[in-house]
Amino acid sequence: MDIAYFIELLINGALTGMMYGLAALGIVLIYKSSGVPNLAQGAMVMLGAYFAWIAAAQWGIPLPFAIALAVVGMFLFGLFTERFLLRRMVGQPIIMIVMLTLGLEILLRGLGPGLFGAAPKSLDIGIGLAPIIIGDVFINRSYLVGAIVGVIMIGLALLFFRTRLGTKLRAVSDDHVASWSVGISVERAIAISWGLAGASAVAAGVMWGSVQGIDWTLSLLLFPAVAVVILGGLDSIYGVLVAGLIVGILGSVIPGYVDPIVGGGTRDVVTSLIILLTIIFRPHGIFGREDIERV
Amino acid sequence: MTSETAQAEAEPQAATDIVPPLLRMSNVEVAYDKVFLAIKGVSLELNTGGMVALLGSNGAGKSTTLKTISGLLAPERGAVNRGSVELRGRDILPLPPPARVHLGIVHVLEGRHVFGHLTPDENLLAAFPTRGRRERLDELREQVYTYFPRLRERSRTKAGYLSGGEQQMLAIGRALMTEPNLLMLDEPSLGLAPMLVEEIFGIIREINKQQDVGILLVEQNAAAALEIVSDAYLLENGHVVMSGKADVLKQNPDVQEFYLGGTGKVDYHNVKHYRRRKRWLA
Ligand SMILES: Nc1ncnc2c1ncn2[C@@H]1O[C@H](COP(=O)(O)OP(=O)(O)OP(=O)(O)O)[C@@H](O)[C@H]1O
Ligand SMILES: [Mg+2]
Repeated sequence: MDIAYFIELLINGALTGMMYGLAALGIVLIYKSSGVPNLAQGAMVMLGAYFAWIAAAQWGIPLPFAIALAVVGMFLFGLFTERFLLRRMVGQPIIMIVMLTLGLEILLRGLGPGLFGAAPKSLDIGIGLAPIIIGDVFINRSYLVGAIVGVIMIGLALLFFRTRLGTKLRAVSDDHVASWSVGISVERAIAISWGLAGASAVAAGVMWGSVQGIDWTLSLLLFPAVAVVILGGLDSIYGVLVAGLIVGILGSVIPGYVDPIVGGGTRDVVTSLIILLTIIFRPHGIFGREDIERV
Repeated sequence: MTSETAQAEAEPQAATDIVPPLLRMSNVEVAYDKVFLAIKGVSLELNTGGMVALLGSNGAGKSTTLKTISGLLAPERGAVNRGSVELRGRDILPLPPPARVHLGIVHVLEGRHVFGHLTPDENLLAAFPTRGRRERLDELREQVYTYFPRLRERSRTKAGYLSGGEQQMLAIGRALMTEPNLLMLDEPSLGLAPMLVEEIFGIIREINKQQDVGILLVEQNAAAALEIVSDAYLLENGHVVMSGKADVLKQNPDVQEFYLGGTGKVDYHNVKHYRRRKRWLA
């Protein structure tokens, strides 16, 4: 067996996994504060990429500012989604809320190409296509940068949850009534988490958009992102890091050997199996919290 | 502050006539799910720095009364049909819960409700205003740990793993982080050993004295409560059936029979029995 080939699959898988993590982060942010699994995150990633593309390519704004503008735009998009869709659902069964986010995902998937044109847009963020070559191993430069951005974002999220605001968000995720009782505005905390999920979707959208172009297929990242949060634990930032690596690596190494035999399509099977097996054998994921039993 | 209290003590009549009381609840009716009347015309009053108990058996409407004041009815589909609740003469019923906390009302919930996945340190931080000054945060936290030294030792354990008594202490301490004028406690003795009840009640009294915080104490443990409050209201079936000075109520034969277990002392048998009942209800 070719060891260089294996290492290449491993490294590129790990890098891809960190980029999945970027897409998964928003789901965790929202789940942590409100207990809502946001299935619209895939479309939010797509929308974040479109926003950045409009600002950069259409309006000619220099890239860093274009991205900043997209972050602001998606933060607002998150706030509005919470304010006008999710807040109406308070007290409804969780299944209805999940369906609402799924409906939003599907709506946006359709709306994106409708508004911006179906043809993929390219977003050049100046990384360059030439792979990095170490010995016999080829490393995708875009994935490397995306993975670094992913790790940075995960680190920022971890830091954020140690701040005053972040602590309040964690309090809200523990107990809404107790939060109200000590003056925390639960509504505002949840709105902020949606805003932050929107902002993080821009990072995912820009990195993935620069790799594969910007069109509706970016929203398909929902699938590996869901695998990451289920494996890592819906409310765990560390989980995003670790599960991102696992999903990325398994989704690269296994297809690397099996695809040539069966003719492709293995990656989605691997991702699905990760979701199914985790739910069956470890429903809270690796780091997801189980409720503390203490009377 | 001391001179103010002294003055209020010297001329209690005049003071209450001119300055509205800290809390005035008039003729409040509350229904859950629009149909179930939980309290039916409750009126009560509490002066600045005062200490009042609200007593009554299971389902009397004690917690509902506190939720009406803190604004926590809405999440349980409860609503005020009529009546008013004023804090220092200001109508607070239209305000959402966080705005009421901002005005100085804080509610320590029945069953403690600590943030289980946060450490005590973080529980205290969560209750401190986001824009508050760092030094004030440290002062308040220090103050809480001075009242409850046991919490300091466990300040880095997840609160969900603390003992019941420690969680109760944390719930009270967390409420103090909001710098309240009105501290409402819903059955702080619930499920605690008698020694611990005494300790916690002692601290509640200290908080009341040292900080001039008005305290509204809901209890089923009437004997213990009547020892530390100046006045009490007795709630039955959503009505105030009796109210007055604690000393007077303690001598009342009905109160003695139904709330004090026939003696003026804490009856541990009853305490246990009541705990068992609670569990059934939970
Ligand atoms: N969320 C709710 N929905 C419907 N009914 C409720 C709700 N909460 C309380 N009730 C009812 O309202 C009445 C008063 O309840 P409340 O909790 O105020 O009593 P309590 O005096 O605090 O009793 P306990 O000592 O058992 O805590 C009870 O009959 C109770 O069943
Ligand atoms: Mg109660």
